[in-house]
Amino acid sequence: MEGFIGKVAELFGTPEYIDSLLHGFWLTLQISYFAILLGLLLGAIIALVDTAKPSKWLAIPKFICRTYTVIIRGTPMALQLFIMFFIIFAIRDFPGIITAILAFGLNSAAYSAEVFRAGILSVDSGQTEAGLALGLSKFTIMRKIVAPQAIKNIIPSLGNEIITVLKETAIVGMVGMYDLNMAAKDIGSGQNMASYVVPMFVAALFYLATIYLITFIVRRVEKSFRKSDSRTEE
Amino acid sequence: MNEEILIKVKNLKKSFGDNPILKGINFELKKGERVVILGPSGSGKSTFLRCINRLEEPTAGEIYYKDTLMTDHNIRKIREDVGMVFQHFNLINNLTVMENLTLAPFKLHIGKRKAVRKRAMELLKEIGLEDKADVYPASLSGGQKQRVAIIRAMMLEPEVLLFDEPTSALDPEAIEDVLALIRELAGRGMTIIVVSHEMGFAKEVASRIVFLDGGKIIEEDAPEEFFNNPKTERVKEFLEKIL
Repeated sequence: MEGFIGKVAELFGTPEYIDSLLHGFWLTLQISYFAILLGLLLGAIIALVDTAKPSKWLAIPKFICRTYTVIIRGTPMALQLFIMFFIIFAIRDFPGIITAILAFGLNSAAYSAEVFRAGILSVDSGQTEAGLALGLSKFTIMRKIVAPQAIKNIIPSLGNEIITVLKETAIVGMVGMYDLNMAAKDIGSGQNMASYVVPMFVAALFYLATIYLITFIVRRVEKSFRKSDSRTEE
Repeated sequence: MNEEILIKVKNLKKSFGDNPILKGINFELKKGERVVILGPSGSGKSTFLRCINRLEEPTAGEIYYKDTLMTDHNIRKIREDVGMVFQHFNLINNLTVMENLTLAPFKLHIGKRKAVRKRAMELLKEIGLEDKADVYPASLSGGQKQRVAIIRAMMLEPEVLLFDEPTSALDPEAIEDVLALIRELAGRGMTIIVVSHEMGFAKEVASRIVFLDGGKIIEEDAPEEFFNNPKTERVKEFLEKIL
């Protein structure tokens, strides 16, 4: 126990270690944030194409979306990361952070698309028909009627996807990037503290705290979306 | 009575996959008419009604609104004139009662916003629900929801209102409230087509009864004739079962 406390003091007392940890954490946050944004945006577009009424000019986009989802969900994330780094963006001096954001974002899009698709399908067709019968355009029906109800239904699943992406970025160490997970390994290595326990424990706390915060925000958003469910008058 | 023809249906056919539901329907609706469509379940009543505002796309045949052939391209404009009330009300769940009433007029730029809100409030007063303007549909009873759905359709000042089994999902007391509102609209000269199982209502309100079976119009007559002197065996059989 004394050794443990000593190691904690050593980690927090060495500016170099703290610096490494924060650098890694910052990279994790950057990759996650932009990958999630990209994933949600692209995922929403894929879901809209996938759930749209079949027509001849949508046949090819629909096929592309389906194939994309199958390939992304059917291959390991780590392999996709390797392909991005060592094949597609194997360009000298190309910023690794961009490659990583693309790898995680394009992966997340396939999963988000399924979540959005389920959300759109969860809205009763009577809601769309009411909009149609009132002479509203498909765009207005999606924006004012279907999307708000779909999003309300999928907020918990989207929260789940956000958390998954954040944790999954911990594999970027495999392509030599210095994220939170990698920082913990580095600080614990033989040249530094020569013990992995404390740095990894601290890294775990960083991940936990971030995810706890995300969960809290998602709950708040969910609550605000649920106001139309209430049977009591305000 | 004005004899202007609002809706004309020519040889309408509709199949779902290989399953033919409507097998050639010819029908005309004049301004001011109150048509009640009767028939056993599965006879195609609702499908027929839903074809009239193109919620179902006909497999064959033509439907005209005031001499204009309905197509995918002009249907949005026509729907402003041909309102619809659904069996399950279909109020927009994420919008308040007031927002349900004003969404279409606002989006279609019909009248000034202030005037639209005023009209919505007046209609709510007429059905005695002015205190519900700012609640969400989830807090209304079935009968209240359906009455709001009816005035929502009225907000666009349609020429024709289609009612697809408007009382089938309601309890007896609510049924009476909703029928009273439809009766009131009919009394003011509103042109309506109602798919219904309420025989008393049909007898009292309809200016014409249309009896559908097996995807065809079997008999079409004024209510007194239809109920007292049915001309076909099929209608006699139907009336014996239900009366």
